[in-house]
Amino acid sequence: MLVEAFVLPKADLDGFAAKLKAGYELIGPVAKGPEFVFAPIDSAADLRLDYDTTILPPHKKYLAPPKETLFGFSGPAAKTGEPAPAGKQVLFGVHACDINGMLSLDKVFLGTYPDPYYKARRENTVIVGLNCTEPCANGFCSSFNTGPGMDTGFDLSLTDLGDKYLVCVGSDAGKALTAGLAPATDADRIAKSKALRSAQEKIKRHIDTDNLGEFLHQNVENPVWSDLKERCLACGSCTNVCPTCFCFAVKDQVDLTLAAGERPRDWDSCQYLEFSRVAADHVFRPDRAARIKQRLYHKLTYFAQQFDGSPGCVGCGRCATYCVAAIDPVQVVADLRDNPGAESAVKLYTPPAKKVTPETNPWEPLPAKILGIKQQNYDNKTYTFAFTDPAVQEKYTYDNGVFNEISIFGIGEVPISISSCADVKGSFDHTIRAVGNVTNALDKLQVGDIVGIRGPYGFGWPVEEMKGKNVLVVVGGVGLAPLLGTIKHIANRRDEYGALEILVGARSPKELLFTDEYEELRKIPNSRLLLTVDNTAGLEWGHNIGVVTTLFDKMSSKPDNTIMITCGPDIMMRFAVRGLLGRGWSPEQIYVSLERRMSCGIKKCGNCQIGPIFVCQDGPVFKLADIQGLPEAAL
Amino acid sequence: MANPKVAFFKFSSCAGCLLSVLNIEPVLLDVLGVIDIEYFIMAKRDNHEGPYTIGFIEGAVTTPKEALELKKIREECAILVAFGNCACTGGVPSIKNWSGMTQEQLTKTVYAENINDPMLTSIPAKGIDFYVKTDAYLRGCAVDVGEMVELIKRALKGENPLFRPHSVCNECKLKENVCLLVSEGKPCMGSVSAAGCGALCPSLNRQCEGCRGPANDCNAASLAKTFMEDLGLSKDDVVRKFRKYAGNTPEFSKGAEAAL
Repeated sequence: MLVEAFVLPKADLDGFAAKLKAGYELIGPVAKGPEFVFAPIDSAADLRLDYDTTILPPHKKYLAPPKETLFGFSGPAAKTGEPAPAGKQVLFGVHACDINGMLSLDKVFLGTYPDPYYKARRENTVIVGLNCTEPCANGFCSSFNTGPGMDTGFDLSLTDLGDKYLVCVGSDAGKALTAGLAPATDADRIAKSKALRSAQEKIKRHIDTDNLGEFLHQNVENPVWSDLKERCLACGSCTNVCPTCFCFAVKDQVDLTLAAGERPRDWDSCQYLEFSRVAADHVFRPDRAARIKQRLYHKLTYFAQQFDGSPGCVGCGRCATYCVAAIDPVQVVADLRDNPGAESAVKLYTPPAKKVTPETNPWEPLPAKILGIKQQNYDNKTYTFAFTDPAVQEKYTYDNGVFNEISIFGIGEVPISISSCADVKGSFDHTIRAVGNVTNALDKLQVGDIVGIRGPYGFGWPVEEMKGKNVLVVVGGVGLAPLLGTIKHIANRRDEYGALEILVGARSPKELLFTDEYEELRKIPNSRLLLTVDNTAGLEWGHNIGVVTTLFDKMSSKPDNTIMITCGPDIMMRFAVRGLLGRGWSPEQIYVSLERRMSCGIKKCGNCQIGPIFVCQDGPVFKLADIQGLPEAAL
Repeated sequence: MANPKVAFFKFSSCAGCLLSVLNIEPVLLDVLGVIDIEYFIMAKRDNHEGPYTIGFIEGAVTTPKEALELKKIREECAILVAFGNCACTGGVPSIKNWSGMTQEQLTKTVYAENINDPMLTSIPAKGIDFYVKTDAYLRGCAVDVGEMVELIKRALKGENPLFRPHSVCNECKLKENVCLLVSEGKPCMGSVSAAGCGALCPSLNRQCEGCRGPANDCNAASLAKTFMEDLGLSKDDVVRKFRKYAGNTPEFSKGAEAAL
């Protein structure tokens, strides 16, 4: 069907802008020194529709602003509820690249766990697009079919036809703004097509997108990356100016009463060392080359893998324009194509299709009371919680192996796995080591104190798939916490599962968790519990000495009809997985629980990514076969 | 509960950071409501001995006497904070560390050939953590007093303030400043320097001088190369840039060494 179209003489632009201003805040491109930015404007005279590009992408600046308060709090209670209503605004003159960037951000913010703050702004924003008849110098939008013209994502689109604009209608809201405009003629439509074809031909920069995802997965070790490491300044400008970069950091602010404050989010960057930092100063992605790779892979393939094929790069060229070291994705891909690594069979990642749409604000922690505190060992305690609202607690269910976000208002949130068994109703447990700011604050709390909790998040252990099979549980240190619930789940349904064998390893006997439950575990019919420590720390020890994989020689479990589940430090799981694969186990029967900085838990903040994986929502429990061979998933 | 006791000390420096403490008028009374300033020679007559909960140290250590005093202060302070760039890295006083002269030559050049005053015992300028364990750093020349208030709040709550040590470019881009380096060809150090200042200088159209020291895992060698190859700075200019505020740090040393 022919798109409805009108003409707007350039002489009438001021009147058109004045009409928009009557109902909306009018935001458009204005000059800032030699460059351009989107800003509120008073009249069409301020508009610079001849702009090439802007420093920040307009949709990101006005829909997911650099700093945004999620909610305020006072004492242990959050003040949340619905976000404040967003004002009505028009983004006027948005280029095709940024409109496509916005459509990609929609997938992030309006997908699973829709973000109410973004949603409110998005619903109150009218997009007036501007087709690029004069392409910018650094853009390569045609490579991704995200420019120079736009097909979708706008309420109205403008095309410069000399002394007038062709105005195409993209939505009912857009249609309502065309009252009084003369309909376009066939000649006008043909002029638009010609202008855009000519613009397309003027674009000189291209990325070879042929099988780009597979090609990049084959070139993880290409020497191009170590060369880029020498050039990259790790300044993060590329991510700030990127129309599809969405990552942010959340850090509580308090006033001088120290009790009241707010929880804001600020744009973050995967180029920073601290992006993947967790408590005890552990950094998951310390190598600068790995960080550059993460950004470019995320732009050029991971984003599409994560969000239904939406482009992670829309070819706006901003990252190349603003890079002090002139790192340019067009050149990087060309360099890789010139010296490709060996071709090999690779698979891209397909995240589990699961969309959660909670009835309440997903950022809102609900008050939960500490019902009990039990010292586990010298540095771990198990806390028993229940939501203070009995109706909330009644409805609260979880799969064994998943996690909650625990808030201490004024300090922050931490993701902690649930260590109780889902069969227990009325309360749930978290076993926690005091190691960072939040867990240290938690350590000072007493029975009866209130914290904020939201969750549960992610996928747990495959208790359905394990039915009728033998189960081997391999535990490293505190890794027993997310596994204990599943062990009890099996014990509670003993006839539904085959033999159960549990291998527990720790650095020393002092590090072992849940030791007072070992007697109960040993009583589970058709089960075995094997213990080992790296060293005895001078304590009496009647069990094995050595890392947990040394128990593989003593265990009864065989690969046939058995599922192995494991949780522990990355290095321990790596050796455990390799040990089993070497003994004839298949990646289809091995499940691992991964840990990264799961700062938000709802696939928004981006901190927990391992290659194309979001640990928080795609995991934390993964089947090895699903992630084996993916970049960064070195198991 | 009594307010925590706070002390401000000064070593070799210009006193600008201490002066800026007095510039927090909008929150000064609120801050004084939650801490007691027990020792602050610049600001009050009546000063008291330690122990203190928080000790803020301004200035670099440039004499053996200062080093001894610092160690004594450390024993008196539960939390010791390097207050400003000089205390963090040696700062501007550390420029002398690369003069190529012996300390004796330096003394005779600065003062007089025949001088022999035992007071003049200059040693290479260092930040305080060269001598004592340092619990937190407030960077900048001068410090950002907003960060100081933030640190006080976090200290009162018993938290690590976790200032995010990312680049000035980050804060600069969020303000949509025209890039001084890329667009105007000025040798701005924002890409390798730690933010927290709100990109103060670039926002006023002045290039960043790196007064807050290196950003986390920054790549000063690459920027040095850009300065020389693309912007045409001389080797000496590049070396001076990286040794002006934080030449003692391993990160900015790499910038200077890349030029040498």
